[in-house]
Amino acid sequence: MKPIVKAAALVATVTLIGLGLFQPTQAQKKIIVGVSWDNFQEERWKTDEAAIKAALAAGGAEYISTDAQGSTEKQLNDVNTLISKGANALIILAHDKDAIGPAIEAAKAAKIPVIGYDRLIEDPYAYYLTFDNVEVGRIMARDVLKVKPSGVYVFIKGDPGDPNAEFVYGGQREVLEPSIKSGKITVGAVQSTEGWKPENAQRNMEQILTKLNNKVDAVMSSNDGMAGGVVAALTAVKLDGKVAVSGQDGDKAALNRVALGTQTVSVWKDARALGKAAGEIAIELAKGTPLSGIKGTQIFKDGPKKVPMHATLLKPIGITRSNLNIVLDAGWISKDVLCKGVDPAKVPVCK
Amino acid sequence: MMALMHSSWKVTLSGFCLLLGWGLAQVAVPRFVEETETSGINSRYDGDYVVGGGVAAFDCNDDGLPDLLLSGGDNKAKFYRNVSRVGGALEFREQTSGLELPQVSGAYPIDLDGDGITDLVLLRAGEDLLMRGLGGCRFQPANKAWGFQSNKNWSTALSATWERGQSWPTLAIGTYVQRDSAFPWGSCTDNLLYRPSSSGQGFAPPIPLRPSYCSLSMLFSDWNRSGIPSLRISNDREYYRGGQEQLWQITPGQPPRLYSESEGWKRLQIWGMGIASYDLSGNGYPVYFLSSMGDNKLQALQDGSQGPTYRDLAFKLGATAHRPYTGGDVHISTAWHAQFEDFNNDGWIDLFIAKGNVGFMKDAATKDPNNLLLGKPDGSFQEAGDKAGLASFLRGRGAALVDLNGDGLLDVVVVNRMDKAQLWRNVGAGSAESPKAMGHWLAVRPQQPGPNRDAIGGWLEVQLGDRVLRRELTIGGGHASGSLGFTHFGLGDMASAKVRILWPDGVWSDWQTTPADQYLWLTRSQGILPAKIGTPSK
Repeated sequence: MKPIVKAAALVATVTLIGLGLFQPTQAQKKIIVGVSWDNFQEERWKTDEAAIKAALAAGGAEYISTDAQGSTEKQLNDVNTLISKGANALIILAHDKDAIGPAIEAAKAAKIPVIGYDRLIEDPYAYYLTFDNVEVGRIMARDVLKVKPSGVYVFIKGDPGDPNAEFVYGGQREVLEPSIKSGKITVGAVQSTEGWKPENAQRNMEQILTKLNNKVDAVMSSNDGMAGGVVAALTAVKLDGKVAVSGQDGDKAALNRVALGTQTVSVWKDARALGKAAGEIAIELAKGTPLSGIKGTQIFKDGPKKVPMHATLLKPIGITRSNLNIVLDAGWISKDVLCKGVDPAKVPVCK
Repeated sequence: MMALMHSSWKVTLSGFCLLLGWGLAQVAVPRFVEETETSGINSRYDGDYVVGGGVAAFDCNDDGLPDLLLSGGDNKAKFYRNVSRVGGALEFREQTSGLELPQVSGAYPIDLDGDGITDLVLLRAGEDLLMRGLGGCRFQPANKAWGFQSNKNWSTALSATWERGQSWPTLAIGTYVQRDSAFPWGSCTDNLLYRPSSSGQGFAPPIPLRPSYCSLSMLFSDWNRSGIPSLRISNDREYYRGGQEQLWQITPGQPPRLYSESEGWKRLQIWGMGIASYDLSGNGYPVYFLSSMGDNKLQALQDGSQGPTYRDLAFKLGATAHRPYTGGDVHISTAWHAQFEDFNNDGWIDLFIAKGNVGFMKDAATKDPNNLLLGKPDGSFQEAGDKAGLASFLRGRGAALVDLNGDGLLDVVVVNRMDKAQLWRNVGAGSAESPKAMGHWLAVRPQQPGPNRDAIGGWLEVQLGDRVLRRELTIGGGHASGSLGFTHFGLGDMASAKVRILWPDGVWSDWQTTPADQYLWLTRSQGILPAKIGTPSK
């Protein structure tokens, strides 16, 4: 129990500072933000960490972190470690969103605010920070609609058990519904993809093409991996580049397809924006700002248990052939990977 | 509870955990020499079999040394007679046995008909087969003769128990997904319980154990020492919908019944692949290691709990084994066969875990080494797979951890998916040329007259100083792999030990003192008798 008592005292100190009841020393004033990573050695998180660190440094806060190395049990222990090291706010990338419960309870007992980073921790005590997955679907639909305003649309959805799959699909339908109602767009097929697996998406797409006699104008694929499977199926019947295809994640192979013209859009979630927001919100929460007081907060209640959560849902960016410079300028992808096999005459950034 | 009243030594789990922290002493690492190429064994597990890949170890020519059956998936299973010299290199001869069948994913030895000759259950993608042992390492199908009505599902788990008053065992067979389905998710098929036929010969038609959640390991084990084992099932969350780990109460004469949350069972969802059990805390109750992807689980009965309430000790004792410890792959690892044995004969139980990627799964480690977690006096574990020489990066599945050359040091066989099975000889503190013992040991095989010859459901105890080493005699668990034969105990520096058994009918034998370093029969009528093992090397 010792660590928790210590942390509670620290929170009390911060509160008193907030009320201006005594003059704190420099050491006491410093906010400490603890980040619990799931498996930090995975490539992507270095970008997030750099953005979090920069945001914390800009706000005068200290960064401490732990790495659960892919272990649920270690992560529970890690959160207690961060609390005992004096963290005033926690950013948690949960390895297992269902098993993280005891760590949230520990933070709650120590009155330390928690941000569920990127992955939902469905406990109203936590603040939820992620990208807007419904908006992901809307962006896909808008960009595909621009190039195929009418015709036969096929929907390759994500895993039937993953709520994110429904968010993306919901966003797509929201934008396309007027055209479907007016008859400009016909829904050729709606198919879920077990495990979001590219090979399943490919197999499904092959069957759909057979069923529809290859009469397909656009494929709303819910992510880039599956878009890869879809494009492979289209290539087999020589429809690659002729059928509009959506995706998300900014996968390197997908961005190359966007440059080649075989994929229309890849919706990209800039990890730097997510990390920056996490750092800034953590500082605010550590200062005692209530969850509802965070600028831009909305209520998210679309989790599996429908728990209303205070949340910030960042806007992703649709990357098409006309704005490929964004991912290039961000250093997300190198020019040789992006432009592999691309005719520079057709794509200016590949010159 | 009878059993516990007789136990002379008892430590509560909380007391046991207080001991953590003084275990800084170095653990002796056993050395393993890979002898795959020279062993004469050449068997692969190929085809579209993401799970399974079992190996069975049993003695079918009465020389005391375990012979081996290795599953092959699309390849035919292969039988190998053990011709190793005692203390020598591992040597096997492939031999026609009648077990050479395709689509075998697992195999468990068991004396089904109580004739004193070991039979085998072959788990298959297709009809499972009861293979009757004829002696001399020959087997023949006996489904028809024994009324065994297998379906055509993909069987992936087995456990067996002898219910009170029955002369034939009760078999539980776990099944996986529908193999012909393009979308196997959510297609878990029924697990089946085969009880003895009322005719007194063979089996009644099976009872489905619903709901079934794609089971990859099953174990009849007396978790609460009531004298009646329950059926623990480990399930793969990749394929079930809304499933969890399960514990079935199997009461003689009554239909199977799932333990519920109102009785204290706690919902646990893992990629369950294998079950290992051992009385780790010395309090008389088995602790269950459950292999999975990422975190592995070590489930101990909660102190004072009335029902089956388990808490997890894996993190506390350093047994999560969730990520490769060598080879540089940072992704989570995938665990399959797991088994508690004492590999360095220091008297502290160790844990072997076969590891390997499902196939080409990117979220999980590609280079995924097997684990050898060595037990320390403080109850925690220390990884030594690389130092011991067992850190293979192939796609490990089933395993046999048995003394193949009769020298009292446990050897290792691992079946690998899409690769050759591997064998390692334990040379203790020495080398291939001159193996060196690491500690004293005993190997004990109970035998009783009538059915259930091998006393499955009994408990063997060895008194070691102020501790009692305790093993439940079971058939099942692991990953698609079983061994039937001598039970191994490491004794550390004790040159003699006291042994006794709680027979399956609840009767204790007397304690008997025996010198260490030998193979023993423990019989119901004559007590301990020396066992003759193999042919000594020159």
